[in-house]
Amino acid sequence: MAFIQIANQREVRNMNQYLKISTLIVTALAAVLLFTSFQEVFNPSPWGENEDYLFPRFIAGGIAVLALLLWFERGDKGKSTNFMDLLPGLGLILAYLISMNTVGFYMASMIMFFAVIMIYKKPEETKDFWRVLLMKLSISAVFTLILYCLFTLMLQVRLPGGLFF
Amino acid sequence: MEFFNYFSNVFTFANILILILGTIGGLLMGAAPGLSPTMAVALLIPFTFHMTAEQGLIMLGAVYTSTVAGGAISAILLKIPGAPANIATVMDGYPMAKNGRSTEALHYCFISSFIGGVIGILVLIFFTPVLADVALKFGPSHMFWIAIFGVTVIASLDSKSIIKGLFSGAIGLWLATIGYDAVLGVERFVFNPIFSGGINIIAALVGLFAIPQVLSMLEGKQSQADQFQMEKKSLLESFKYNISRIKALIVGSVTGTIIGLIPGAGGQIAGLVSYAQIKKTSTNKENFGKGEPDGIIAAESANNAMVGPSLVPLLTLGVPGSPTAAVLLGGLLIHGIFPGHEIFVSENTAPVVWTFIDSLILAQIFMLIIGLFLSRHSGWIMKVPDNYMAVSILVLAVFGTYSIGNSYSDVLIMVVLGTIMFFASKAGFSAVPVVLGIILGPIAENNFLLGKLIGGARYGDDWMIYFTTGTINVTLIVICIASITYGLYSNRKSKRST
Repeated sequence: MAFIQIANQREVRNMNQYLKISTLIVTALAAVLLFTSFQEVFNPSPWGENEDYLFPRFIAGGIAVLALLLWFERGDKGKSTNFMDLLPGLGLILAYLISMNTVGFYMASMIMFFAVIMIYKKPEETKDFWRVLLMKLSISAVFTLILYCLFTLMLQVRLPGGLFF
Repeated sequence: MEFFNYFSNVFTFANILILILGTIGGLLMGAAPGLSPTMAVALLIPFTFHMTAEQGLIMLGAVYTSTVAGGAISAILLKIPGAPANIATVMDGYPMAKNGRSTEALHYCFISSFIGGVIGILVLIFFTPVLADVALKFGPSHMFWIAIFGVTVIASLDSKSIIKGLFSGAIGLWLATIGYDAVLGVERFVFNPIFSGGINIIAALVGLFAIPQVLSMLEGKQSQADQFQMEKKSLLESFKYNISRIKALIVGSVTGTIIGLIPGAGGQIAGLVSYAQIKKTSTNKENFGKGEPDGIIAAESANNAMVGPSLVPLLTLGVPGSPTAAVLLGGLLIHGIFPGHEIFVSENTAPVVWTFIDSLILAQIFMLIIGLFLSRHSGWIMKVPDNYMAVSILVLAVFGTYSIGNSYSDVLIMVVLGTIMFFASKAGFSAVPVVLGIILGPIAENNFLLGKLIGGARYGDDWMIYFTTGTINVTLIVICIASITYGLYSNRKSKRST
């Protein structure tokens, strides 16, 4: 029991650190917003009175005040992040966005679909590798085909084109 | 009673077929994240070229009504509102679905959508001449105060931390200032050409809701599939319960009607405003956000009640009451119907317009039937494995965002905003106030600057007079103050009781 309690305390401390870090980031963000809103160097205004920056300055001021108030905020617990599980996903999303412009939306989507369901698989799915591979490949293909029929053939939406579609 | 005379015009085989297809298509498009009602109507306008004016308008009307309700499907089942109008539905719909009550939640959603929608259309039929004058009275100063009122709603949305809610709302307001300023035409905070178009509302909506959901599915923290037991409740029980929540229905329908009527206010906030109202006045506040049916009933009846009245200023003045109504205006013009008082009496346009309005009522009925049928089978979507669901949502989100303006920058903004939101949500920040800020920011700012120009021209240096005098202004200011005071009061009370 004592062990569990210590673990819980550590967890709580981690959470508090997480919240502290987030508050720090938020305060830094507020400072940047405040600075840029009052800097005319970034966008010199053709209007004398600078009415165009009136509203952003007002909001940036509000954000700064609220960011300071956040330091006194207590009681709300944060949640931990499972970075190891998340990283491949973030990497895949990045690759998906970049590849979309070269291989086209549908091709990239199909590869993305296949990659995600291959990498993020449930432990019980590992029986017959080749059969699973083939099945997942065909699911990806069917999914993409449905999208193609709906969006391009029916609704005639323009999407990033590429080598294939 | 003209509307009654033209009812028979709707009942032709072709019209009914178009209505049914439009409703099914609208429900499905509404459910896809990123395909907002505005987008759906815009995409379908080219299809109406080959139809008669009557048929074309029937289809657009059916799609408009059903996409608004369809957006609630993904809001309830996936925590991703299909359109800005459905943001409020997420807050209680998703918790209900997570507890295995998805069918019940969808029942409430469609029944209250139907009731709200019919009330809205009845308002459109009977009060159009009166309301058209009211709609005309709204000027920039009133719009500014309505936007401020919308901001005060933020405080009551997030029950955990008001400061975090307000902070997120302020960030949303600031994000909305990126890009070109609409009144003075000045470029602001555009550090990179990606931002020159500003941050699109739909891109932000999709990013802030869909991407965090995708990432948390990949993270493996929430497995939807095997956590709960599906709880079946019969349609009759849901129906009885829904009717018994008469207060939520009235609050939703009335709020939706009023907000839909105001040109440009955007029905997007109708759901949120009525959600906040019902939460404030409810006897069991602590249940909100954990799966309280009243939340769904109020939000959904409001956003569908908004549809009819938003057509009042559109048909009589040519001033659209919501972004979707603006696109619908294009559809009207293409078919040779020019808005104005005379369209209800002129020999050429009256049959078309009245048939269109009558078809809206039928569209509500079809939406109810098809929607209830769909909700019976909603369980299977909760059983799709997380990895499949995550990547499907991602692909649809990218598609929806890209197709708004054929812009790759929008897609990048969507993904980046969503990723930031994912980490921010870990620290207890919520996406709802951010989106509300992005919606209200331009309304508040543009109307403030316009009002300042008008006030400056009228009163010189005392331009503030323009914002603070007049019956509507004073009423709105009082409502704003009352909303803030009540929010602070009830927050203090609930803190003391816990």
